[in-house]
Amino acid sequence: MTDGKNITGHISHTFSPSVLPVQKLIFTGFIVLLLILFGLDLFLGSVSIRPADVIRSLTGTGDETVQTLILKFRLPKAITAVLAGIALSLSGLQMQTVFRNPMAGPYVLGVSSGAGLGVALVILGFSSGMGPASVTAGGSWLLVSAAWTGAGAVMILMLFISARVRSIMTVLIIGMMLASGISAIVSILQYFSDESMLKAYVVWTMGSLGNLSSEQLKVLAVSVAAGVILSMASVKMLNALLIGENYASSAGLNVTAARIIIFAGTSILSGSVTAFCGPIAFIGIAVPHIVRNMLRTSDHRLLVPGTVFAGATVMLISDILSQLPGSEKILPVNSVTSLIGIPVVIWIILRKNISSELF
Amino acid sequence: MKQQTEEILTVNSLIIGYRYGRKKIPVLPPLGASAGKGELTAVLGRNGIGKSTLLRTITGLQKNIGGSVLIRDEDTSHYSRLKFARTVGYISTEIVKVSHMRVYDLVALGRFPYTDWTGRIDRTADEIINDSIKKAGLAGFSDRIISELSDGERQRAMIARALAQNTDILIMDEPLAFLDISGKFEVLRLMKELTASGKTIVFSTHDFNIAVTNADKIWLITDKGIIEGAPEDLWLTNNYECLFDYEHTGFNPEDGSFSFSTACTSDIYLEGSEGKKKNWTVKALRRNGFRISADKTQPFVRMLEGEEGWSLVHGDEVRNSGSLYDLLKLLRQYNNVPT
Repeated sequence: MTDGKNITGHISHTFSPSVLPVQKLIFTGFIVLLLILFGLDLFLGSVSIRPADVIRSLTGTGDETVQTLILKFRLPKAITAVLAGIALSLSGLQMQTVFRNPMAGPYVLGVSSGAGLGVALVILGFSSGMGPASVTAGGSWLLVSAAWTGAGAVMILMLFISARVRSIMTVLIIGMMLASGISAIVSILQYFSDESMLKAYVVWTMGSLGNLSSEQLKVLAVSVAAGVILSMASVKMLNALLIGENYASSAGLNVTAARIIIFAGTSILSGSVTAFCGPIAFIGIAVPHIVRNMLRTSDHRLLVPGTVFAGATVMLISDILSQLPGSEKILPVNSVTSLIGIPVVIWIILRKNISSELF
Repeated sequence: MKQQTEEILTVNSLIIGYRYGRKKIPVLPPLGASAGKGELTAVLGRNGIGKSTLLRTITGLQKNIGGSVLIRDEDTSHYSRLKFARTVGYISTEIVKVSHMRVYDLVALGRFPYTDWTGRIDRTADEIINDSIKKAGLAGFSDRIISELSDGERQRAMIARALAQNTDILIMDEPLAFLDISGKFEVLRLMKELTASGKTIVFSTHDFNIAVTNADKIWLITDKGIIEGAPEDLWLTNNYECLFDYEHTGFNPEDGSFSFSTACTSDIYLEGSEGKKKNWTVKALRRNGFRISADKTQPFVRMLEGEEGWSLVHGDEVRNSGSLYDLLKLLRQYNNVPT
């Protein structure tokens, strides 16, 4: 190094905190948008309530019927939307990084299917002698634990497979095969179940944010909080895994331990949402891509909080749209998220040569 | 000149191979070799013999079946994961393409074994990262997106990442593969600069010529084990034999040159002064199966001064040509006509 170089050459990169001003602006925007949408979700619905009454009922005054509607129905639903959006998006982000595949999400791994199998067994199988009431009432806990068991079982199976098979792509293909196999089993279960059970199951498969009891909402909130904490704790591992397990391992990462921690978080996040809300498609794949493109970074220290905000935002939008404001009809939220998510996924496929560039 | 080199990396009766359940399947007999501090060691061997497996085993990416890897006489199996990551860096051909990842972000991942659980980059780490980027010849590239770099630049960015990891030893699995010629030399020059500054590099390559002309030491993997030594030692002991089939490749163990010609069929005399022009003329003639003769032959080639070209002289007959290509054509005509 000569002195001359120091005079003529400028310093290419000065030390700065990792958040750029434009990224700060995006985060602020997300928070503001989130608050507005959360409010809108309370104000808008198939029954029109004046904003003043909404605020009154939140402060504990006002008409009792309206208060019940807001506090027992709209508020839990909005909170559920936020939690489900966060959980699905974060699990998608983690899977895309761990599997180094832009198309990864809770579905391709078979995790949601595993949770779904648990749910199907409860709705279609065990409860066939009990009648539909048992499923919606006390059977909800059975439903949740079945979904977790299903998700966990698939996760353990995938862990076992990925320990044997070095190639992450092979793991992904096996995951997709597994998902197909599970849906075949579910089809057989459907074939043997009676009509009312089948209807209950089909309603569940449409996905719903509004059927949670306050007890279930608490469990969901605790699970999502645990999942978010695990994700936050995994940012360094996720960053290292971006460049592949060989490089990550050579930099000192315990790849197996990292996988277990990340997979645990992923299965808690996607499993509990699947149990309570049914399968909600495409949020898990689409949101992480939206966040990466907005923040223009690959750093999970920014991507994880970004995905939390964006996931909640997108899910609130989906929920508002599903209520078809101004009309009395309500669409299944799964259809709305699909219609939002699918164009994003197609855009990803068209914009990038998937095989040559990841994420 | 280099000081007395200290053996920093030693492979001691190392058995490399695969495990299927409890079964251990070695791919080679126990291997022994060493690399000195500040040396550039090239690992050679025919395709599929286990170069990559050996390097992956040294790096700990793959478990050994037996034997040990020693660093400064200390068995690396006693190293903690982080201590090992602070001692040995790894680079492979694996192409890393992550969108929105800047060169700086990539190189910052080299700080993995040093940072806290969030991977926070402090001022010291920042200095090391910028310094590594500069050393890899990528000054000014910090904010460039890695998927937009050329292959050579990306490989140098990977090396910068390994430099930020601040290890004494760098293991590189085919670092020159998939690079075009300028990319290859760009990366090779960087590797030589790094060894000159005290890093120890062990790299595998398919490029025999690059290995024997640039490495300080060769580890030649054969079916019987590793043969190690200076590139020239292995010439003298005829060890490269295992890499080539002399008869079909036209490999010349006398001087290490290759020619794919049919055997030299005739002698030819070349008249003219030494220099660049003569060197290339000799090469062209050899490629076409001529041995350069010390005695005058008929016909013979006379090199003309400067830009004038060449003459093919046969008795009184002198035929001029402006390029080697034309000269060779003339020669071929002669050969086809029985004299």
